[in-house]
Amino acid sequence: MIRRGSPAALSIVLSCLASTMVSAQGYRIQLDTRFQAVAFRGVTPDSIPTGSAVVGTGGGFETPDGFAVACPPGASFCSYFRPGPRLTSVPLVSTADVTVWGLGVRGLSFRGNARWGVDLEDDDRWPGTQPALQLLEGYAEYATPGITGRLGRQHITGRLGWTGVDGAALTVRLPSLGLELSGYGGWGLARGLDVPINSPALNPLDDFQLQERHLTAGAVFGWRSRWADLRAEYRREVDPSVDFFISERTALTAVLRPAERLTLTGGAEYDLAQGWWGTSDLFLQYVDARLYADAGVRRYRPYFELWTIWGAFSPVPYTSIQGSIAVSPVGPLRIRAGGERYWYSESGAETALDSFEDRGWRTWASATATVNRSLTVEGGYRAEFGPGASSRTWDGRVTWVPTPSLTVAAFGSRFTRPLELRFNDVRVNAAGVDAALRASDRLQLAVTAAQYFEDRRRPDAGAFDWNQFRLHARVTWVFGSDADHLRLPPAIRGARRRVAR
Amino acid sequence: MRVSRTILAVAVAVAAAGTAGRLAARLADDRFDHWQHRRVFPTCQGCHAGTQDSTRSIWPSTADCENCHDGTVEKKVTWSPPARSRPSNLRFSHLKHAEEAAERLPADSVVCRSCHIAERAAWMRVRRTEVRQCLDCHDVRTVHLAAPDSACGTCHLTLAEARALPKERVGQFPAPPSHREPGFDERHGKLAAPERAGQGMPVAISRSCATCHARDFCITCHVNAPEVPVIQALAPDPRSLAIKAELEAPSSHAVLDFIERHGRSAAREPGKCATCHTQESCLTCHTAQPTVAVAMHPAGSGRGPGASVDRRRPASHGDDFTERHAPVASTAPRKCSACHARADCLDCHRPSAASAAGYHPAGFLARHPASAYTRETSCAECHNTGAFCADCHRQSGLSARGVLQAGFHDAKRGFLLGHGPAARQSLESCVSCHAERDCLTCHSALGGRRFNPHGPGFDAERLRKRNPQMCSACHGAAIPSP
Repeated sequence: MIRRGSPAALSIVLSCLASTMVSAQGYRIQLDTRFQAVAFRGVTPDSIPTGSAVVGTGGGFETPDGFAVACPPGASFCSYFRPGPRLTSVPLVSTADVTVWGLGVRGLSFRGNARWGVDLEDDDRWPGTQPALQLLEGYAEYATPGITGRLGRQHITGRLGWTGVDGAALTVRLPSLGLELSGYGGWGLARGLDVPINSPALNPLDDFQLQERHLTAGAVFGWRSRWADLRAEYRREVDPSVDFFISERTALTAVLRPAERLTLTGGAEYDLAQGWWGTSDLFLQYVDARLYADAGVRRYRPYFELWTIWGAFSPVPYTSIQGSIAVSPVGPLRIRAGGERYWYSESGAETALDSFEDRGWRTWASATATVNRSLTVEGGYRAEFGPGASSRTWDGRVTWVPTPSLTVAAFGSRFTRPLELRFNDVRVNAAGVDAALRASDRLQLAVTAAQYFEDRRRPDAGAFDWNQFRLHARVTWVFGSDADHLRLPPAIRGARRRVAR
Repeated sequence: MRVSRTILAVAVAVAAAGTAGRLAARLADDRFDHWQHRRVFPTCQGCHAGTQDSTRSIWPSTADCENCHDGTVEKKVTWSPPARSRPSNLRFSHLKHAEEAAERLPADSVVCRSCHIAERAAWMRVRRTEVRQCLDCHDVRTVHLAAPDSACGTCHLTLAEARALPKERVGQFPAPPSHREPGFDERHGKLAAPERAGQGMPVAISRSCATCHARDFCITCHVNAPEVPVIQALAPDPRSLAIKAELEAPSSHAVLDFIERHGRSAAREPGKCATCHTQESCLTCHTAQPTVAVAMHPAGSGRGPGASVDRRRPASHGDDFTERHAPVASTAPRKCSACHARADCLDCHRPSAASAAGYHPAGFLARHPASAYTRETSCAECHNTGAFCADCHRQSGLSARGVLQAGFHDAKRGFLLGHGPAARQSLESCVSCHAERDCLTCHSALGGRRFNPHGPGFDAERLRKRNPQMCSACHGAAIPSP
């Protein structure tokens, strides 16, 4: 599953970083290793001859041992799903984040972020351990107040999403006018994962996949002032093998500060290839000494690349109104609440055969009480109802900070989740503890242990209980030359004068 | 019988307690039983000649007592005058007090009984002097510990001057009521320097502060101690550390939007922050040295360790900020970089297989259908649908694997034929289990049942111009003209 190109690229980047570190005046390295032991349990498809199906107590067909079956008209077999086996996984992932600067050329730096992952159960069942070696970022940067140039693997971020590019980016700034203009281009990486789009790791269902890497290019225009920030983006992705578009989108983002405590944020995406508006939102936020409140409207529409057929299936957007509030009525108590109501646009595919939920809501409330400097108690409730699934969750947490470097917490939750399309209601009770230790400024340790009691309910033999113990641990070690912490004068210049004044 | 014993026991206990209390009170008042000797001593100076004569001791000698207590006339007693006076921070001297009183007041207006015998009490009903009496005579109209700054030095030495006072006694100094008033922490600097220092003159330090405190005490909190003349004007004295001070955050730090506003305040009045914060304080949250930190002091000797800072979410990062941060993060990324390193972004945007709860709450695996079906947020922003969703669903038996397995969506009897609305609403969810071929079984112009999948807003010509390959997946080479 590991592409030959990835370790090679990683080796080159690491070699460059290692050699430059030798002569660099400054460097910062963060090594992070995490592991977790998890388990999950799904279903196993099965079938029986139609003649073997029996009529169950509810009047439907089922297997002789009680599993509800589906027998399509005219088919010789009825299909059903048995509870799947318990699958365990122990992913271990180490990440190295390196920044090197001070190489004799003012403004020149190198940055890399690489990850190595393995499933200690040796089955790679938990998603994310393939490819085993991943280079998330690895680029050289030259930055001055007016220009920033990058060359290598980097992320382009913005309203059009985080996307990886193996290429170059150039940003020109006019600080006096608050203007910024960027352009970038190169070989693109997949959405949500820094591997080429033709990596086998992206194709577990053996579906159609591009055979060559795609090209990505785009431009960003930004303007900042005291009252407003604006950003306009354009991005185009092309399949070079046929010279067809994979996507062509543009977006606008704005942050306005009409008054001291008010912020208006909003933005919209427009899919030039599909000819429709994508995800958009507009929110007004208010913050003062005791109150936080926001309210707004959001529209969500999924975006599919044009090398798949999914965009032609006309996914419909939903529109929502939502708001949230947080107040501190008395010093140690903070109460938060919020809600969202949403409804889908007309799908144009309604039939008399079935009806589906096309609107829903979410609401949540929580409170945090700081009992004293070392003890915090939190509790919350969340409920949602909508197409596909609903859920209701109660959770609580008690956090104890006996010393500034140690945090210990106990948590618990109770959760129910009915599905709309399948009989598979779930009830989960969970309880656990976690602890985080800041052993030094450089070293942090964390561990979480939790027991889950899961009860999956169905009106046939497919119901099962599934309890599991989960363990997670993390070690983060940061070291470097401290050259990013400026050496400053030992005292305030003129402090004596100010105090005596 | 048992009741009687109980009553007796209680009575004995009460009597014993009463006796002990009276004895204790008496000893506190007068450790030598002056009243018992009222007929023997007509004047105070017979025994305490030192109060008026600097060449004599303030205490009688052992021999003076033995004049009577010789074992014959009176029973023998063992007493000897103290070798040195009791350590104290009082600057009081009987002789000097008497001399100054004689200079300023009418003769005999201040005599021994003025302080040591209560008004209208009998001769030799001696008691220890009460502070109230000192305050009344010196015209201080407040309670002792609220006396004005100018009054303290009348009776008290500064802590540094009271060299004989042991550290334990310093630790037992009572706190004045002013120290318990709200806002004292913020005000105490002004109280400590009540007078402005003249040019080239030593800084005036509050006498009331110096009575109990010394420079070492200030340094327990003050990072800027070397730069504050008032603190430097205090003498150093490690005994002052016997008084424990705990640095409380000022009330200004408790407001909800303090984190958002502290940068501007720090830029406006950097010296104010530098009172309690070191440069290292800034680095607790800030990933790089902010410009304003130039005005702060690095931790070092002679400075307080600085306030301990907890890294916490600013109020603007409301509960749903993780879903809403994109506009702010994309338009003003440098603002984020004040507290966040790039690795923080990657932590969520490129989650690792071993990441535990963080962006998602603990146990999200069981919860995720409710959030994912209607895309509470865009899952694909951080998770690749193929490598993450489809791969895990395949492992869990939730994929078609080339054959449509009827019966999974068993809560809807007609799902296979009526699934259109659900699919158009949650197409990203469908794709997390189904491959294109599953849908093309029916939705292809080349074969199957030829159900048209195109819905509202479908612009065939626009798509064909950009990528005809998409069209040919269903239509082959014969892509229809719009």
